[in-house]
Amino acid sequence: MSPTRAPVPPPPARTARQLREATSSARRRHRPDADLNPLRQGLRLERVPDPCSFVLFGATGDLAHRKVIPAIYQLWRTNLLPAEFSIVAVARRPYTDEAFGAEVRASVEANSRVQPVDEAAWAELAKRITYQQLDFGDDAGFDRLSERLDALDAERGTAGNRLFYLATQPSQVTEIVRQLGRVGLDHEMRGSGWRRVVVEKPFGRDYESARRLNHEVAKVFRESQVYRIDHYLGKETVRNLLVFRFGNGIFEPVWNRSYVDHVQITVAESLGVESRGAFYEETGASRDILQNHLLQLMTLVAMEPPSSFHADALRDQKLQVLRAIATPDVEHVRHDVVRGQYGSGWAQGAAAPGYREEPEVDPESETETYVAGRFTIEDWRWSGVPFYLRAGKRLPERTTEIAIQFKEVPLPLFRESTGDPAPNVLAMRIQPDEGIMLRFAAKVPGLGLDVRTVNMDFDYGTSFSVDSPDAYETLILDALLGDASLFTRADEVEAAWAVVTPIIEGWAAMPAPRFPNYAAGTWGPEAADELMERDGRRWRRI
Amino acid sequence: MAPNLRPPEVLHSVPEIERALAHIWADATTHRGDGEHHVAARSSVLNLVVVAGRRETAERCAATIEATAGRHPSRSLILSALDDESRPGLDATIRTVAVATAAGGTPQTGAETIYVTVHGQTSHHLASIIVPLLVHDLPVALWWPRDPQFNSHRADRLLPIADRLIVDGSSWSGDGLDRLGAMALVTQGRRLVVADFALLRQARWREALASVYDLPDLRPHLRAIRSITVEFAAPEGGDPTGLTNVVRPVYHVAWLASRLGMSVVEPMRRLPDGRRVAALRQGNHVVAAEWRPVCSDLGEGSTVRVEIASRLSGAELVGEVTAGDRTVEVAIDDKGRERVRRTYLAPRLGEVDLLERALEDSASDSVAAEALAMAGNLIAAEPTPRRAVVGAVERHRSRDHD
Repeated sequence: MSPTRAPVPPPPARTARQLREATSSARRRHRPDADLNPLRQGLRLERVPDPCSFVLFGATGDLAHRKVIPAIYQLWRTNLLPAEFSIVAVARRPYTDEAFGAEVRASVEANSRVQPVDEAAWAELAKRITYQQLDFGDDAGFDRLSERLDALDAERGTAGNRLFYLATQPSQVTEIVRQLGRVGLDHEMRGSGWRRVVVEKPFGRDYESARRLNHEVAKVFRESQVYRIDHYLGKETVRNLLVFRFGNGIFEPVWNRSYVDHVQITVAESLGVESRGAFYEETGASRDILQNHLLQLMTLVAMEPPSSFHADALRDQKLQVLRAIATPDVEHVRHDVVRGQYGSGWAQGAAAPGYREEPEVDPESETETYVAGRFTIEDWRWSGVPFYLRAGKRLPERTTEIAIQFKEVPLPLFRESTGDPAPNVLAMRIQPDEGIMLRFAAKVPGLGLDVRTVNMDFDYGTSFSVDSPDAYETLILDALLGDASLFTRADEVEAAWAVVTPIIEGWAAMPAPRFPNYAAGTWGPEAADELMERDGRRWRRI
Repeated sequence: MAPNLRPPEVLHSVPEIERALAHIWADATTHRGDGEHHVAARSSVLNLVVVAGRRETAERCAATIEATAGRHPSRSLILSALDDESRPGLDATIRTVAVATAAGGTPQTGAETIYVTVHGQTSHHLASIIVPLLVHDLPVALWWPRDPQFNSHRADRLLPIADRLIVDGSSWSGDGLDRLGAMALVTQGRRLVVADFALLRQARWREALASVYDLPDLRPHLRAIRSITVEFAAPEGGDPTGLTNVVRPVYHVAWLASRLGMSVVEPMRRLPDGRRVAALRQGNHVVAAEWRPVCSDLGEGSTVRVEIASRLSGAELVGEVTAGDRTVEVAIDDKGRERVRRTYLAPRLGEVDLLERALEDSASDSVAAEALAMAGNLIAAEPTPRRAVVGAVERHRSRDHD
């Protein structure tokens, strides 16, 4: 029998916030098994969220109209939302409920992935949408919002559960969160329902600003109430990556430094900055893609198996990867990270302007529209395996792919063959044409011993001809259900910035390359190819 | 998804069918514009064998299967056994369903359906046709859509092939209880997952009930159930002949009893007024179960209302569940005072939804198995006269209601 040890009492709670946290964690720890609902066993995964109000800040903006509201409509149409549901659309412009309803109806028609719009379903959802004009600095306005939500609880049975979705400019996040805290809309008192806040990227613009933002949000909401969206994590193939790695036994034995030569992750966009010139001038490819999408994909490839698919088990493992990435120093930035900016050229059969000629872009801009880098993970599994990451705009095609290239066979027996067997590659296409490709060598039928490399394709579109949900549908439903697995935690955000900030600072300290340094419609600057060639490798032809 | 437009060739033997399938797959390998040689990755996920009996049943099943092919690319074998006096043999055709990529790429074969009509003595040996046509190493789902004969030579040969048995207990003739009991017995101890549309149709009722009892102050009542009453639609409101199919109402009680740790004290018996009653035990108290026939617009045998009464620490709760075409309503009253009322958006499932669920439910999920076992216990001691009339009368029933 093991000796009994007296439990160490936690430090006394000093503030109301600490008291709340202490109480809720104690409840979690001591919840007896008898409290579990036996009727839940065996039910399907599509659990319908609790009755709730969905408060959409920035409701008149582009993100709300193109992504958020069509996703909610789709969830409603497929009966994945509760009947006791209301949407409170919040923005600064004056609208009546009717005028706003007409506008979002048009957005759903334009952006819904399933057409035509289901009239009956839309009519029911439209009844649940109300609009509230609100200046985010207006105290009285937030008081009115709070009262309105209370009234909706009574009218619609939404039970005090509220999800605040901040589809706003990043600069407005702190103010909205502060106001929500001021009027007590963050409080999860016993029996009064849950409160969650969804924050869109970017989460800061460097390590320090990310820490400050996290700190401001944490003054009001507990970390468990905060859902930071990186929509890439909601994509079907990204989620399938977890299934592929941890639902199949055969890959785990070769998923390490003994068998993997290197990993390439590409996020290529064929478009330029379009109408987002001003935004892009402030971000660039490093902040826009590398800090979040690319590093998130890298963590999913490199992470150790989590002990479960609970949010924190998964995120703990991703965090370990981010913390194990060798922090770039100035020499590393100089040699192993490449930045580029597109000039004019021809992309997909049409003349394309250079970045500096785009609207709202400084004609002397030194913002990078392309970034490529060689990163290493200092742990037992990946030590010595380079991860090559690249992202850029105005590349020849839009594609996102993760490719694991395996080492060559130790003794090349078929050197005399007419074909040269290439190393095995396992490529996971995230978009478009989501799927998985395995490249291997096969004998060409005949009397000789000719070997040819063949690609075996698994294509979601042809194998399962059903529509995958949009990433926003997945993520909004998860947030309503309280499942944070696919959302980024504060410490993850900071760890990712700890990788990218030295690169940005390193670039600031050294002279910029002669921009533009690649033509629109090409695969990036020559320096990116040289980066690979120095290691005796080359970028995959995608 | 587009059907292959080549006219189907009629095949007369298993080897001919095998050769035709091999040709279809050879055609699916492609050479793309990138100069590389691409092997079409076959993504069949299961073998689906349908013992259709009549031709019209086969056609209905085929349409359902085709609608699920996007989610469950499979090799389907649909067998119509004529069981006649003609010369032994078979006629088969193959229909492939090709799928084009979103980008308009080369269509690949996504699913294939083999229609086999067997004659004469061959109809007694379906397994000898099925086994060689299965895709190796993939699970086998056996869909037996009409009245399966569980105590038959055919069942003895077919059930061992299958990993999953798909039936629709609510379509069985008579009250359905003989077959339900036989199915509970025949599947006991086998590695065979049973997916009964009759139970799957109740998923929305179960979801709604489970959600209400997620509320922490109601959950303890699940350990203090005193009675379960199920009202079901019956002719003249009284089921005078006792021939209304009651498989679905029985499953309601069986599911609750199995989930809540109950055991059967007195098996189900039918009273002269058409009601059926049983007694269960939960912990140290007795739970009265009652199935009550009522007048309803719903199809005969459909569940109209479920009532669960519980008593705990002075609180006497009555939970009532009803369902419409698109919603399920749950209300919980405490001595006449409403504690909770919830509406769940959950439309009735059609046959395509049911088949998809039947194919998707986890093989390791014990809930259905335990509900079936409990149903077997509940009906174990039905009086013999009921058995004599089972199957004597076939009446029209709607299969589209819970």
